[in-house]
Amino acid sequence: VSRPVLGTTSALVVAVVLVTAALALGQPAVPPLRLPAVLAADGGIEHVVVTQLRAPRLVLGVLAGAALGVAGLLLQESLRNPLAVPELLGVSSGAAAAVAVTVVFALPVPFAPLLPALAGAALGALLTVLAVRGAVGPAAVLLIGAGVSAALQAVMLAATAVTGSQEQGVLVRYLLGSLAGTTWATVGVALPGLLVAAPLVVVALPALGLLRLGGEAATVLGLRAGAARGGVLAVACLLTAAVVGPAGPIAWVGFVAPQLVRVLAPGLRPVPGLLACAGAGAAVVVAADLLARTVLHPVELPVGGLTAAVAVTAGTVLLVLRRTGVAR
Amino acid sequence: MTGRRVAALAAGVFLVACAAALVGTAVGPLEALAVVSGTADPLTAAIVGDVRLPRVLVGLAAGACLGLAGTVLQAVLRNPLASPEVTGVGSGAVLGAVAATLVGGAVATPAGVLGVALAGGVLGGGLLWLLAARAGADPLRLAVLGVLVSAVLGGGTLVLLTARPQLAGSMARWLVGSLAGRSWEHWAALWPPLLGCAVAGMLIAPVLGLLAVDDDHARGLGLAVAGWRSAALLVAVLATASAVASVGALAFVGLLAPHAARALVGADHRVLLPAAAVAGAGVVGAADAVAQLLTQLVIGLALDTGRQIGVPAGAVTAVAGAVVLIGIVRRRSREIVGEEA
Repeated sequence: VSRPVLGTTSALVVAVVLVTAALALGQPAVPPLRLPAVLAADGGIEHVVVTQLRAPRLVLGVLAGAALGVAGLLLQESLRNPLAVPELLGVSSGAAAAVAVTVVFALPVPFAPLLPALAGAALGALLTVLAVRGAVGPAAVLLIGAGVSAALQAVMLAATAVTGSQEQGVLVRYLLGSLAGTTWATVGVALPGLLVAAPLVVVALPALGLLRLGGEAATVLGLRAGAARGGVLAVACLLTAAVVGPAGPIAWVGFVAPQLVRVLAPGLRPVPGLLACAGAGAAVVVAADLLARTVLHPVELPVGGLTAAVAVTAGTVLLVLRRTGVAR
Repeated sequence: MTGRRVAALAAGVFLVACAAALVGTAVGPLEALAVVSGTADPLTAAIVGDVRLPRVLVGLAAGACLGLAGTVLQAVLRNPLASPEVTGVGSGAVLGAVAATLVGGAVATPAGVLGVALAGGVLGGGLLWLLAARAGADPLRLAVLGVLVSAVLGGGTLVLLTARPQLAGSMARWLVGSLAGRSWEHWAALWPPLLGCAVAGMLIAPVLGLLAVDDDHARGLGLAVAGWRSAALLVAVLATASAVASVGALAFVGLLAPHAARALVGADHRVLLPAAAVAGAGVVGAADAVAQLLTQLVIGLALDTGRQIGVPAGAVTAVAGAVVLIGIVRRRSREIVGEEA
């Protein structure tokens, strides 16, 4: 069996298993073999739980994971840094801070939460880009981004503290990301941004292939490297913002998905690589959410806490194993 | 010369503390001044004496602890970016403090929280130590690793806070640090470790200057490097843990204070260490005063407020500290390139 066929088959098997588990597990548990009957049933508690609670949650998890996986890939390839993730560039925390502020102060903003999320993501990225000017080296860029992120997170925490918001769900959601309480309406909130972003990703793909070679090589090959990089960053911001609005910055998925693809299927061509990143991101989020809502039932952990723990551990190991990873 | 500067710094911090004690939501500055002259009514006197005064004192003490810790860490790790936040020590201590509060009972007493926070700080610092041993000595890389260690421990803290919703109300305090609701009880738990750390810090101060250069010179001068370094790190962790156990994270104070102090008094650790402690106290006092003013501003905007604890002081230090962090990283990265060129 050739490698692409094997890879596609195993990906499909994983997808089927995850989707079945996400729909079947929980309280009440539905035996997998009865799922079709429950889905087709007209009413009944199991039908409502599966179609109104678990299905939208699954769909939002898939969308969010795919978007974040692609956003992570765009950032990492265009900045040529395996640790360039929305979390370390001020993008996620900017979006989260903006949305949290509009939510806790109940500000009347049109097109919320997409518009404030987008504005926040752009602001965070812009702050980082401005602060990074003149600094040299990937490690410096990451630290500066981490500084911007810390400041933006502090703004968000201050906003929630000032209002004494007892809705701690808001805080947890926008700090780490959570899929708790997802309905079909929440999925509808995420869709417009993603629908706008998807064609832009396709447009950005050729430039990405050149940027991967480095700024000088890209310029020689006829690409305006600065403008192209800015465009790719903007698309990544849009993808992140579309997810952060309804679900929060599901932490570090943008890091772990491309890494997973790199380890499991090295040397993929750009288009299959992009799809694989989207799939890996979706799988990571759905699996983490499954754990988050079942392990400590009835307590729901924030899904972002699990993805952060897994991904940051992986990242640290990577950084230590590849001694040249960040320095060069 | 430097003596005069330290005195000026201390005087400045005293003024900041007075300002911090005078601003607040329920009692205006003039009424607070009336307490000093003894003409205020009992309620105002109680607010100033039992709410504001312990709050300011706890803030100053915590700031001093963080200033000490930051200076020691920067010297021992030979890294201008080292501070409790960027080494995992701070977030480890927060994790410990939250865990102790969750367990409750005898562990949730001030001393118990301090002990567990200390263990958490050692855990965070130890993790970084293990990773750094393999990652090489580049200060920027070490700091990135420290940020990652902090992210893991911070995620753990948040998961703990979510698992027990009754604690979540104090989330802002643990995650960014706030002086709201600090009482004389907290002051009683904080000053003994601060005193201990200050004395220990002054004892190791002459050695810090040697440790900050390199191991070979220190060893050549007859210093038991490993032992002194462990002692210094222990002091830093204890100082961080005692600050965190009483006020939460208070981000970046341990980074701001040593740099402010170094700019004022130079790099001699015998002067720098006390100056950094004083500067840390000043940073926290000033940050809390700014936070109180911001709170008043927000309330003045008549925004809907429920059970509010006000703007946390840690948010102010985090924003200011991020600016300083970025400045240092930029300068540092250019220096490295300059050396290579």
